Formats: sequence, structure tokens, C-alpha cells
Amino acid sequence: MRSKNLVLIKTLLKATSLWNIRKYSKDKKKRGRAIASFIGISCLEIMLFVYSFSTCMGLHAAGVIETVPIACALCVSAIAFVFTFLKTNGYLLNFKEYDMLMALPFKVKDIAICKFLYMYIKSFPWYMGFLLPMMIGYGIFSKSSFWVYPLWLILGLFVPIIPMVIAAFVGFLIAKASAGFKKKNVIQIVLTLIFVMICFSFQYIIEAIFKNDQVTAVALKASELTDMISTYYLPAEWFAKAITMVGQGNVLGLLYGAILVVITIALFEIIFILVGKNYRQINSALQSHDVKRNYKIAGLKKRSVLNTIAYKELKRLTGSTTYFVNVALGEIFAVVGGIAVLILGLDKVVGVVTKGAPIPHGIVYPAIPLMVYFFIGMMATTVCSPSLEGKNYWIMQSLPLEKKTIYQGKMLFNLYLTVPFMIFGVLCFSISAHLPALNMILNLILGLVLCAFSTAWGCVCGIRHMRLDWENEVEVIKQGSAVSIYLLPNMLVTMGLIVLVVWLGTIVNPNLITLVLIMVVAILAVLSYLKVLKLTKK
Amino acid sequence: MKNVVLDIKGYSKTYGGDKKAADNINLTVESGDIYGFIGHNGAGKSTTIRAIVGVLDFNEGEILIDGHSVKNEPLECKKLTAYIPDNPDLYENLTGIQYLNFIADVFEIDVEKRQSLIQKYADMFEITDALGDLISSYSHGMKQKVAIISALIHEPKLMVLDEPFVGLDPKASFTLKQIMHEMCENGSAVFFSTHVLDVAEKLCNKIAIIKKGKIITTGTMEELTQGQSLESVFLEVEDEK
Repeated sequence: MRSKNLVLIKTLLKATSLWNIRKYSKDKKKRGRAIASFIGISCLEIMLFVYSFSTCMGLHAAGVIETVPIACALCVSAIAFVFTFLKTNGYLLNFKEYDMLMALPFKVKDIAICKFLYMYIKSFPWYMGFLLPMMIGYGIFSKSSFWVYPLWLILGLFVPIIPMVIAAFVGFLIAKASAGFKKKNVIQIVLTLIFVMICFSFQYIIEAIFKNDQVTAVALKASELTDMISTYYLPAEWFAKAITMVGQGNVLGLLYGAILVVITIALFEIIFILVGKNYRQINSALQSHDVKRNYKIAGLKKRSVLNTIAYKELKRLTGSTTYFVNVALGEIFAVVGGIAVLILGLDKVVGVVTKGAPIPHGIVYPAIPLMVYFFIGMMATTVCSPSLEGKNYWIMQSLPLEKKTIYQGKMLFNLYLTVPFMIFGVLCFSISAHLPALNMILNLILGLVLCAFSTAWGCVCGIRHMRLDWENEVEVIKQGSAVSIYLLPNMLVTMGLIVLVVWLGTIVNPNLITLVLIMVVAILAVLSYLKVLKLTKK
Repeated sequence: MKNVVLDIKGYSKTYGGDKKAADNINLTVESGDIYGFIGHNGAGKSTTIRAIVGVLDFNEGEILIDGHSVKNEPLECKKLTAYIPDNPDLYENLTGIQYLNFIADVFEIDVEKRQSLIQKYADMFEITDALGDLISSYSHGMKQKVAIISALIHEPKLMVLDEPFVGLDPKASFTLKQIMHEMCENGSAVFFSTHVLDVAEKLCNKIAIIKKGKIITTGTMEELTQGQSLESVFLEVEDEK
């Protein structure tokens, strides 16, 4: 690697490092936020470490410790793929400082490579959250030879690269395909969503193939599933074979390690030759906008202030592929899920999700609103929207509006976005489950108060952890502290509630449970809303 | 004899299949020239400038910098050129000096030289004291000054600027004009877009006026104005063609 490229990677890392902010910022608040972010990230890393090590312990207890290397490689690969795919547009393509970098004496291909390696280095601590504890767990429980440790660490450096390169290339192809259209943003969003849906369906497609071949007629065990996927994803198998064979003292395992390294480097080179050739052309197309220049002022409509703010939020959402995919994916899943249960029947869909586990399907009916909320409520526009104002924050600040009104407009938009999908989802699920009218109405009410809660609580997180000085919107949409604080507890609590409601439903009248939940969630929604009002007075 | 530093031959850029943002542009900038590029908003100035500095891909024509093709020898061209966009996006979480040092590293400027040039230009723009602060704490004008210094420290043969005077205080504007003259005396050339016709009239020796992607008139200041002000010439040709 040439020294100039190293300078660029170093600068990119420095430009987004919390350490640089802490060291040089004269703003106490900013320095405090940098430290808080560092502590938050460290806590998540520790949680990941503990989770990964516990998984090893669990697999050891189940007598399948030999599946750890392949499970580790698959986890790292899956995370690397998803992280990279969702970041390609914004980090690798169409980034803010594109003009500045492209005018400097770098080869176009080198800029793309440096941006990619920057993404790799930034994400590596997360990959290490799986690689290190699983290496320790595997080493201890399988009593492997010492050489497993250095080999694991070396090959661990290569494991995320192939999925990252593939994800970057898919993102690049989507950008290239959309670049030829006038409405490139819409095309990019649609193609990205199609691809994400295919990825989510992948597990079920594989299972379907295997079931059709009658390889397995029973519910699949986790270890069997990992084995199956690894036969489709060879790099994970090479990693696992290298580790297990060397662990048993078989030097031939090194051959698999060498295959992984060589294929990774070759694929990286090939892909970046292709990317480099089209990089400027695609970025030029992405940064240019179709203009008609024939507009006649007519038919302007007057909207209320709140609706005007909500409309502005809609335009912000549809104007960014990253924002749209992250926020609206849940809504699309709710539609797909709703249609699927209407066509296939709720029982069959529950059967697929629970992999045919012997659960009487009726017991999940009380959890219908929570199941739909699991799609819709995991992300709210109100979480990112305050930070996304970024450098345009002055526009809202300089308008003759109370802060309260601005955030009410933002909340209104999230309700416009979530409520119709919640109603659709709950109705589809309830109709498919043949629920009586009363249950259906109670489910709808619970769905609506859940939407209100997610909107208001999201707004609390968004305001309290507002960050306007971002370099790239991905930092706010995917990595912002507001998102982490909203998303993780929300996900865990919803999952816990689903289990609790299902269990309680077997001993108490389900309508009573729904009524209690409506009251609790409504109180939480009101409290969150009051908190928003309080925060906007500051 | 003067060298041709920038030679644009039949450059065209098309968006969306048929809309030409730049249409058969021909321009020649020689060493010692301060070349003003003027036109309405959306006339095609920035599109042309971004193609010159190798940021924007283009469909037809050829752009040569000191004889090197922007399309075929981009690296050689970029080594000779400095570009300052209208709204420079610098790395906000770097300090001013970290950013300048990054640019100096990229252009492989030795330590003593970079130190003396950064000192010289930072003193001229009165920003030396702020170089240790994060760029995010700078005003628009201060960011512009850092971008200008970063463009000057590798002593470019061609400096391309898009609306360079926007956001600069009067003293910094004066300093920039002084530096432009100095560069041209040393054999470099400056090509810049502006809406401030008074500045263009006093500063430039050559002018090109662009309208709807086409160069509608070009020449030396004397040829163009012939005793009139540049403003009246601009308004006249804009209305005519």
C-alpha cells in the first residue's frame, strides 16, 4: 500500500475519531458527548463479548463445540455484510467530501479502496466482539493446540472482507443501475429494499430447499442450520476447517487458511478494479440532478403548520436511501407479513417462524399487536429527525415557531407513517386468526397506543441525544446514540412482552391482558409526550 | 512566450440523456492569466470547473492541463492543479493544522517547506492562532481560508476557484487577490468563477461569459469592455444571445 493511501486512511479515521474531538474541542458539551459515546460503545462491546462467550459455553454444554468456528465466521460475515451494505451509499459512494478528495492527486481506484478499508477498520472492533471471545471459548472448551489462537486471529482479519466486498459491490451495482434513471433515488430505494427482502428470506429459502429434498423432515437444529449455510458460503467453511484441523494437529488445515486468504485478496482486487473504472462516472451521475426548468407557479396548496413540518419530514425521508431503508423497512415488512398471513394463514406463518416447533398457534393471538409493533416500532423517524437537521438546523430555528410545534410536526409525521401500517398489519393478522370483533378492536387500540408511544419516546431519545455536527448521515441513522438508546431496549422489551403475553394468555383472559397493556402503554406514551414538551422548553 | 496551462477543446456534459449542462466549450488559459468565468446561476460554471479538476465525468471533448489530459492522465493533472469549491467540505473533526498537514502529505511536500508555507499563508490570512482548533468550530470564512491555504501550499501551476470571494472578509479578499497576482507573476494561472463583476473587472485580464452551457463571448478584458463597464457588457450580451 502506497504511503499516500495510508495518509488518507489515517486522516479518515482521525476525522471521525472520538479521541480527536475529546483532545481538541473547546466545547465542553462536545467533549462530554465524545466520552459518553466511548463509554457507550465500550459497554456494548463488553455485552457482545459476554454474549459470544456464553454462546460458546452453551454450545459446549450441548456437546457441539466443534460448530463454534463456523458459527463465529457466519456471525462475523453476516454482520459485515449488513453493516457494509447499508453504509455503501454515503461512505463509499456519494459522500460529502467527494469533490475535495477527487481533486487531490489520488488514483480513483485508491480513493475507493481507502474508503473501503476505512469502513473495515471502523467496523473491526465489532467483528472482534465475536472473534475474540469465540476464539477463547473454543480454545478452552475444545482443548485445541496453541496454534489455533494465532491462526484464528490471522484468519479473523480476512473473514469479514469477502462479505464486505460483496456487499459493497451489490451497493455499487444498485447505484450504477439507478444512476441511469431520472428518479435515481426512488430506483435506488426500491432495488435496495428488494435486495434486503431477498436477504431476509434467504434462511427460509435454504430450509425450503432442504425440506423439499427431504434431507430433514423435522425442525432443524441450530448446528445443522449453520452447517447448511456454510455449504453455501464457502469462506466460512474454509475458516472452520482451517481452525478445526490445525486444532487437531493436522497441518493440512493451513491449506484451507491459505485458500481463504488468497481468494479474499483476489476477490478484493477484481472487485476494486471494476469499481475504480466506474467510480467517477457513478458518483457524477449520483450527484447530478434531473432538471426540467419549465415550472409554472400554479396550484400551490396551503397547509397547517404541523402538516407543513410533517411534509418536510416526508421529503427528508424519501430523499435519502439510507434513511428510508432504515426507517421504512419495518413498515414494508408489516405489509409483506400481513399479506403473507392473509394468503397462507397465521398458523402456517407462525409455524415457519418457529420452525415447526410444537406450539399451539392460538396462544400467540394475544401478542398480535406486539408482533406487528416488532416490525413497525423498532425505528421511529423522531429518533433521527432532530439530528438529521444538521447544518440546516438554522432554518427551523429562525422560523417564527415554538420549539414545541416543530417537534409536534415531527411526531405527527411519524404517526402518519406508522398508524396506517399498524392498522393494516393488525387487521390482516386478526382476520387471519379469525378473532372476534372485540379482540380485533382491542388489538387495534393497542396498536395505536404503541405507535403513539414509539413516536413520543423516539422523540425524547432524538432530542436528548441530538447531534448536528455529523460528517455523514449514516453516523446519525445507524450509529447515533439516540438510535442505540431507543432501539435496543425497545427490541428487548417487546420480545419480553411477547413471551409474557403469550404465557399470560394461557392463564388469563387475553382481552384483559390487552386492556392492561393499552393502559400501561398509553400512560407511557403520555409521559413521553410530556417529556418532549419539557425538553422543548429548554 | 506564454505556456498554455489550461486548454479546453469542445467540452460537453450531458445530464439525463439530452440536457446539455455544458455545450462545446472551448477555452485557453495561459500562464500569467487571471481568467474570470462569469454567468447566471445554473449557467454551467460549476459543471465546467468540476470537470476541469477531474471531479466530474464528461461526455465529449478534451481538457488538457499543461499538456496532460484530464481523462487519460488525471494524476499528473491533479498534481499541477489546486481546486477550491464554492462551499468547501473539509473534515470537520480535524484541526486546521491536521487538515493542512494531510494535504501537504498527499502532495509530498517536505517538512520545512510545508511549515514555512503554512506559516506564511496562515499569517497573511490571520488564521494562525486558530489552526489548533477543530474545523467544526470555524466560521464559513475561516473554513474558506483553510481551503485556500491548502490549495496554495503545493504551489500549483493552475488554481481553479469556484466563487472564491464568498464569505471572505474584505482583508482576506484583498490578500487573495494579491496572492493571485503573485502566482501569475511566477508563471502560474488562475481560473475562477464569480458573480462579483467589479472584482472580475479589476482582477482579470481575460473573461469568458457562459449562458445555458454555451460560451457566448470570450476575450481579453480590453477587447470585451472597450471602455464600457464589465457589468454593462455582461447584461448586453446576456440579453442579446
